Amino acid sequence: MPILDQLPGAIRSALPTEPLFSARTDLLIDGLFGEQWLTVTETEITVWNESGSPLTAIAVEELKDARAVSGIGGGTLLADTASGPVVVVRYTAALTSIFGFAAKLLSSMAKGEERPMLSEKELPQQCPKCRNPLQEGTQTCPVCKNNGKVILRMLGYAKPYKLQMAAAAIMLVITTLVELVPPYLTKIILDDVLQPKDTGSKLLWIVIGLAATSVTMAVMQTLRGLIGVWVGSKLMGDLRRDIYDALMRLSLAFFDRRQTSQFIGRVNSDSEAMRQFMTDGIIWVTGESLKMIAIFAIMFNLSWKLTLLALLPMPLMVVFSLTLWPMIGRRWYQQWRSIFRLNVLVGDSLQGIRVVKAFGQESTEISRYQTANQDVVRNNIRIEGLWQGMFPLFSLVAGAGTLLIWYYGGWSVLKGEISIGLLIALITYLGMLLGPLQWVSQMINWASHAISAADRVFEIMDTPSEVPDTRDPAVIGRVRGAVEFSNVTYGYEKHHPVLKNIDLNVAEGEMIGLVGHSGAGKSTFINMICRFYDTDTGHITIDGVDLRNISQTDLRKQIGVVLQETFLFDGTIAENIAYSKPDATPEEIMRAAKIANAHDFIVRLPDGYDTRVGERGHRLSGGEKQRVSIARAIIHDPRILILDEATASVDTETERQIQEAISRLVKGRTTFAIAHRLSTLRNANRLVVLERGKIVEVGTHEDLLEKEGIYFKLVEAQKEMSQIKGVESA
Amino acid sequence: MKDPYEIYMLEPERISFSRGPGGVFQGVIDGKEYEEIIVHRAFPFLYTSQFISVRDAKEEEIGVIRDIAELDEESRAEMERELQFRYFLPRVTRVDSVKHRTDLWIWELQTNLGPTRLVMRNLHEHMQFPGGSRIVLTDMNGKRCEIGDWKALDSHSRKQLRDVV
Repeated sequence: MPILDQLPGAIRSALPTEPLFSARTDLLIDGLFGEQWLTVTETEITVWNESGSPLTAIAVEELKDARAVSGIGGGTLLADTASGPVVVVRYTAALTSIFGFAAKLLSSMAKGEERPMLSEKELPQQCPKCRNPLQEGTQTCPVCKNNGKVILRMLGYAKPYKLQMAAAAIMLVITTLVELVPPYLTKIILDDVLQPKDTGSKLLWIVIGLAATSVTMAVMQTLRGLIGVWVGSKLMGDLRRDIYDALMRLSLAFFDRRQTSQFIGRVNSDSEAMRQFMTDGIIWVTGESLKMIAIFAIMFNLSWKLTLLALLPMPLMVVFSLTLWPMIGRRWYQQWRSIFRLNVLVGDSLQGIRVVKAFGQESTEISRYQTANQDVVRNNIRIEGLWQGMFPLFSLVAGAGTLLIWYYGGWSVLKGEISIGLLIALITYLGMLLGPLQWVSQMINWASHAISAADRVFEIMDTPSEVPDTRDPAVIGRVRGAVEFSNVTYGYEKHHPVLKNIDLNVAEGEMIGLVGHSGAGKSTFINMICRFYDTDTGHITIDGVDLRNISQTDLRKQIGVVLQETFLFDGTIAENIAYSKPDATPEEIMRAAKIANAHDFIVRLPDGYDTRVGERGHRLSGGEKQRVSIARAIIHDPRILILDEATASVDTETERQIQEAISRLVKGRTTFAIAHRLSTLRNANRLVVLERGKIVEVGTHEDLLEKEGIYFKLVEAQKEMSQIKGVESA
Repeated sequence: MKDPYEIYMLEPERISFSRGPGGVFQGVIDGKEYEEIIVHRAFPFLYTSQFISVRDAKEEEIGVIRDIAELDEESRAEMERELQFRYFLPRVTRVDSVKHRTDLWIWELQTNLGPTRLVMRNLHEHMQFPGGSRIVLTDMNGKRCEIGDWKALDSHSRKQLRDVV
């Protein structure tokens, strides 16, 4: 559990009363790393150094206000006093939340307002044991947690196939044992047939025995291979499904911070690496370890002295493996990262290929690619080179063992202590033993590759949704559509709020126009209603029910969205219109399209409602797409409607058609509309003017014009613009 | 009247900065006194001491300083301090270790502002390469450190970095 650090005894005893609040900083006032303590009592704000002597003190009565000013990578707690602003403490970004709270507390004390409560969200997310940061929403510290967990969890995927895996294992045992027979038979040929020059039928029988082992091995290996492929493919499928499920479940905030093109590669290559480890890797490891044990047993039986000699170089090999293991893991990751960067680059420039061509930047893109490509080549050489170097090194060390056996074994044969057959058998077995030992490096490769892949995959799976569904959601049924914002604050980056203390009460069926400069927080405002993000403070209710207590499926059923960027999925127009209601009848689809002013143009298309749209299909114009998406919202029949710049980037005639469609759509629904062209908001019951995340004006078009405030200025500015446009087009 | 669509470059001789009694950065610009001034680097990676946007407490831009080297002695010193506070980006002087423990990459670093530790969930989202041999490290909490030129660090540090950059 993240908890606040305990105030040192020296400071506590210097205070007259239990402090209201105390926290440790991680920077000194001059910006160097170090620790200071801040304590707040009813009368005084004090900063202490680590050993408990007070550095500065500000009397609460002098305090006028307090703010947390966030810089980049850190921040400052500022107190506004009668004699000007004062820097109280400085801290790094790790502690922004807690000092953000401190600022709120001080500010409320200064103004005599109600004191805020410290919420869990504002506590620094740190493991109390090792002080490493915790992932949001988790309680277990990844450093303190068990190491083998990743592997165990990965193996969990093999569970449904344990029957097949067991079959493969049995065959593996048989092949392994059978594999050990030929050297023994060779020994018999040498000692019992060739040397005594036995011309009987013995030779034939032994050769038949050799043939039989070969056939058995071939059959077993084929069967095992087939099972491996089957289980492997199934495993891959399961993994990919889980990763995709996890991706879909994640909140928008996760995707905002990442490029989406990376996920395509991630899902495929990472699950492949994990599959390889689980099927080939594990089967191989068990097989080889089994073989090694068996070989040891046989060799010790044949001649324990020589066996011990042969094993002398083994500790060296283990040491090699252990030192090289971490290095290989890192280099794999390095290689992965460079390929990842290359993929991102390709994804980027291909998605923006129009821009690239339009600006004639093909050669720059090529050279950018070239640089990233060289990086991949360099890393590839590094990892593969290391790998290639390891191989001969292992053989060399292993070979030393064989040499020892040849020498001492040879002497023993000459002295007549052991037979030639025995020596040859020992050397063959040793060869078989050292084979897998050399491949330990390959195994290390696989394992570390797979573990790092699994790390990344589980990272996605474990990322908690930032907008978690409540456990027992309120049953809302069909809502009336009254929306209330109370004291809502939110920032994409915490502590850089985009919306600040928003209070707004919207009656059912009301149309609200959101107005403001770009970056004023309009889009964020509507994102909050859809609950793409959760508020940092305050809450939003629909019909008096907190959004957080409504299940997201229920919520989205009530909300329809027409966005600025209309996205049509790959599929027919009909499928796209019926996206939220797959069982819609053709008649319903047409009716929706008709209301959306889309019916006519759709019918005129050669393939009508069956026209394929989306990435590979027919290209609709911006206005056409827009109307299809309006039809999509109509069929959804939401109680709350959100229009985000629905008429941006279309010509006047299309705009009129869309406008018409929208005015039919908004009837009887609570509507939030954003538009740059203020004229399109004429029908709004109320306009809300946002500036820098705050509501600055609310009222009807006429009210606000009369007020001659920000809205008035915006309207004037647009009038001027349209006059210019008028002149240009004249 | 200033053209609102023109970048207003401040004349170095018409500005001076100081630190108020409460430790707050303040100054006089074009004869006007500002009790609190906020500064932004326009190009925090490329030009750390040039093109500084100077803003009032409401974050309205007063103007841009072309190069803080043109300022007078005191102003420049205070400006540098303020930038260092605002852009908390310690310069790494030595990399003690980079460890990968289960899910986390833990960096133990020595910086010009003292020793610190960064913790990352992975490397590919937390390491930026703005160009050349520069590396900007951002930890899970948003704490950042900068390695000016990793090839110029001591051999121990370079060894730690070799397999992660």
